[in-house]
Amino acid sequence: MKQAHCIYQDEEHRWLAIARDATKPGYIIDTNEYVVVHGDEALLCDPGGIEIFPAVFSALSAECDPTRLAGIFASHQDPDIISSLALWLEFKPDLKCYTSWLWQSFLPHFGGHDSTFVPIPDQGTTIRLDGLELQAIPAHYLHSSGNFHLYDPKAKILFSGDVGAALLPADNNDLYVQDFSRHIRHAEGFHKRWMGSDRAKRDWCERVSRLEIDMLVPQHGAIYQGADVQRFINWFAALEVGVLRS
Amino acid sequence: MNAPEPNFHGIALRTGELARIVRVNEEIKAIVATAFRINLMALNAIFLAKRAGNAALGFGVLSNELRRFAQDLTRHMASLREMTSGSVGSVTGVVQQQRIARILAEALKLSGEGVPGAREARRRGAARLAEQQSRLRGLDLRLRAAVEETQQLVELGGVLARSAKIEAAYGGGFSAALMQVSTDFAEVIAQIKRSLEVLGKERLVKD
Repeated sequence: MKQAHCIYQDEEHRWLAIARDATKPGYIIDTNEYVVVHGDEALLCDPGGIEIFPAVFSALSAECDPTRLAGIFASHQDPDIISSLALWLEFKPDLKCYTSWLWQSFLPHFGGHDSTFVPIPDQGTTIRLDGLELQAIPAHYLHSSGNFHLYDPKAKILFSGDVGAALLPADNNDLYVQDFSRHIRHAEGFHKRWMGSDRAKRDWCERVSRLEIDMLVPQHGAIYQGADVQRFINWFAALEVGVLRS
Repeated sequence: MNAPEPNFHGIALRTGELARIVRVNEEIKAIVATAFRINLMALNAIFLAKRAGNAALGFGVLSNELRRFAQDLTRHMASLREMTSGSVGSVTGVVQQQRIARILAEALKLSGEGVPGAREARRRGAARLAEQQSRLRGLDLRLRAAVEETQQLVELGGVLARSAKIEAAYGGGFSAALMQVSTDFAEVIAQIKRSLEVLGKERLVKD
């Protein structure tokens, strides 16, 4: 069963990682969900698919009052990212869903109505959470054509969606990357195939290199921290992407 | 959880609901096609009666009535079809709401006692489901009433077909041909009756 791990805390400002579900059915890709809690509000990043909603909800509720959820950040439109939207709205109908303007009329197929969605323009935006300013950073074509990552300048955490994702073996349940060179082997095939644009990749690497990042938290696999963050950016910058087979 | 489990199964909707609507639609389509056949048959019967002249005056009147009957039947079936196509949306809504309610209930159960907001979420979900179920029940009642009304119309069609058979006996040299036409009418109307009986047994919701 999924559990929420606190990966950052500074007084009333917390990041929770709901990661690594060993009990989920094997045919569903493992996902990480992140919750940014600040003051009286919380933002859920990539809440996941319908099938894992009970596990995510209960993990979140164990660490944080779910009625404090003010919004959902959907990095892009995939079902493993946001197909649980209708369920979160069932629990809290006034939730806002921040996503690329590109998906504003697609995501209602998963749930929600006109007033649910807050479209993010291509250049990104600031998302306010009880006084905290989070930045939606453009990551278009990595892999989705309308794609954003979320940067928290206070916690120095970058939620990087599918960038940094690794499809780890079932027996590897580490929350953080332990050995970069061993870990990155599980990320290589994924990035080569899923990331389709070399130009978009270079843009992203330049953009995030300018940010102060202590932790890069992806939607699949383990969290990069400390020097592994820059290691990952360098590795990604050098990687040939848009490759059908290695 | 202290809050009572909401009754998500007030109407037992399972996987077969959409399949049931498809069956209803198919039955309606079959009746519409048959009604079209009656219309053509009645037209032919009118021409035949004209050719038979004075000997088939009564048969001609009945053929006109049968044609009107076929047109009325087509109108009835069109309105039935409209109702069932509307019910696809309602059934889908209920099925979706039940699925959402089931998963949310599982999530709340996993979360243990006292999750803030749980009671309100349950109440909202149960109210929405009850509203959708009530809409579906209303549709089901209207559909049943419409089927009953159509069954009465078809009874009249049966009477007309029987009368046509009697009139055919007075058709002189055309008697055999008129008899054949009126027998065809009776068979087709019997077929519609059977379809309506099937339709009358179908329910959009199971109580």
